[in-house]
Amino acid sequence: MKKGLIIALIVLVVIVGGIEIGITLNKPKSVSDNSNDVANKNTEQAEVFTFKDGDKQMTPGELFSKETIGLGDEESYSEIASCAFEGLDKTYTYPNYEITTFPDGEQDRIYTIYFLNEEMTTQEGVRVSDSMEKMVQTYGEDYKVQGNQYTYTKGKTNLEFIVENETITSIQYSYVTE
Amino acid sequence: MKKTIKTIKILFIILVLIIIFVLVNKLLSPKYMENLVEGSMIAEYYDEEKNHEVIFIGDCEVYANFSPMVMYEQEGISSYVRGTSQQLVWQSYGILKETLKYETPKVVVFNVNSLRYSEPVSEAYNRLTLDKMKWSKEKVEMINASMTKDETFISYVFPILRYHSRFSELNKEDFEYMFKEKKNTFNGFLINKKVKPAGNLPTKKVLPDYNFSENCIKYLDKMTQICKDNNIKLVLIKAPSLYPYWYDEYNNQIIQYAEKNNLDFYNLKEVADLVGIDYEKDTYDGGLHLNLTGATKLSTYFSKILKENYDLKDYRKDESVNKIYQEKLKLYKQAIKD
Repeated sequence: MKKGLIIALIVLVVIVGGIEIGITLNKPKSVSDNSNDVANKNTEQAEVFTFKDGDKQMTPGELFSKETIGLGDEESYSEIASCAFEGLDKTYTYPNYEITTFPDGEQDRIYTIYFLNEEMTTQEGVRVSDSMEKMVQTYGEDYKVQGNQYTYTKGKTNLEFIVENETITSIQYSYVTE
Repeated sequence: MKKTIKTIKILFIILVLIIIFVLVNKLLSPKYMENLVEGSMIAEYYDEEKNHEVIFIGDCEVYANFSPMVMYEQEGISSYVRGTSQQLVWQSYGILKETLKYETPKVVVFNVNSLRYSEPVSEAYNRLTLDKMKWSKEKVEMINASMTKDETFISYVFPILRYHSRFSELNKEDFEYMFKEKKNTFNGFLINKKVKPAGNLPTKKVLPDYNFSENCIKYLDKMTQICKDNNIKLVLIKAPSLYPYWYDEYNNQIIQYAEKNNLDFYNLKEVADLVGIDYEKDTYDGGLHLNLTGATKLSTYFSKILKENYDLKDYRKDESVNKIYQEKLKLYKQAIKD
């Protein structure tokens, strides 16, 4: 009987140990964890793409607060619900750009900042309608290409250009979710 | 003799430990019965009488928009919606393959919205489709095709690896539905009676690439082939959602694909006026999905298309099937009234 108990204990230890190892290997990384990582990295290293509109400054992945950023009332606002989960993706449209946020617990974080016209420029002075040559001169050739899109990455932020016939037709800052 | 008793005792203790392990796994797994009911839909099909001539496959745009109860009442069509939230095309193929193990419908209706997603998107949505699916070769293939970067296959086999942190979140639902289940849909249709009028939508962004990926087309080809092999008519549809935007470039590719493969394609957004959809009243989330009134209108419209074009039987004249549907209709009418 003693021997039996020992074997049973070994089996139990193997099961629990196996689960523990599995749990460690499978430890899920929540959006919140990711976002905090980004927020920390953003502040510590400043190795990110940041969008500026006058004295208003925004970085994808950061908490979104119109008051803190100094944004006024948007021209239009929309909410997109998920198919099954709680929380809303929110879109705030301003005259020259559109900000989309994603829910992170009770708060919202900036997901994308999308340029709506040629009036807006990146911090480095590139705008929609500029040439691809200007994009390369400004940001270099360290980009990833997907279709017509050229993506520069810093930390957990992307700066994305869509180029058609050598002309920039779209600019977007975005948060890297993976 | 003494040795045999010892062995039996050891085996008994091991068995008890295994039972405890299985029970803990069961307790910690989400039940999807009261909350996130979208996760329960995949399994509801298994208990059904398999008498369906039409099977709908696809994402939320099928389970929110098509009511088999309405289609039965209107045209006598026996149908089932095997839709799940953000069902990706490789999952649709797996679900279709699995369905064919149980029955061979005359028509499979596939909503093409998911073709826009070339890669696995979200673990949370994968779980809603896969957690409650019966184990089969198809499920294994679907998991392998669906996993995002941080997911592991083993966590689908032993849910405790994924849901161990639910210990602190266990609630009444977890105990109540540990050994039983209830149905949340009517033949896969999830009733939603809320009304949220369509309002502002985000800007229609320029996309880097409007072409469906090779991976998506590969799975669409597989669906086309498996339907052909089983003498099933594959019908492509695009549900009448206002968002996410269904670009003209997407639509043209589907038209070309349908022509090339001799399939029918119905873009139901283009006929929304004809269907009578009022986006002020017939949607529960601002135009993404139809609510009960919208789904009733769309199902009425689409059941006529099915009846007129695909030589379907009027099951209202089939005594045994009609009996099943009459019971369901009674419950359905009660549910839409409540």
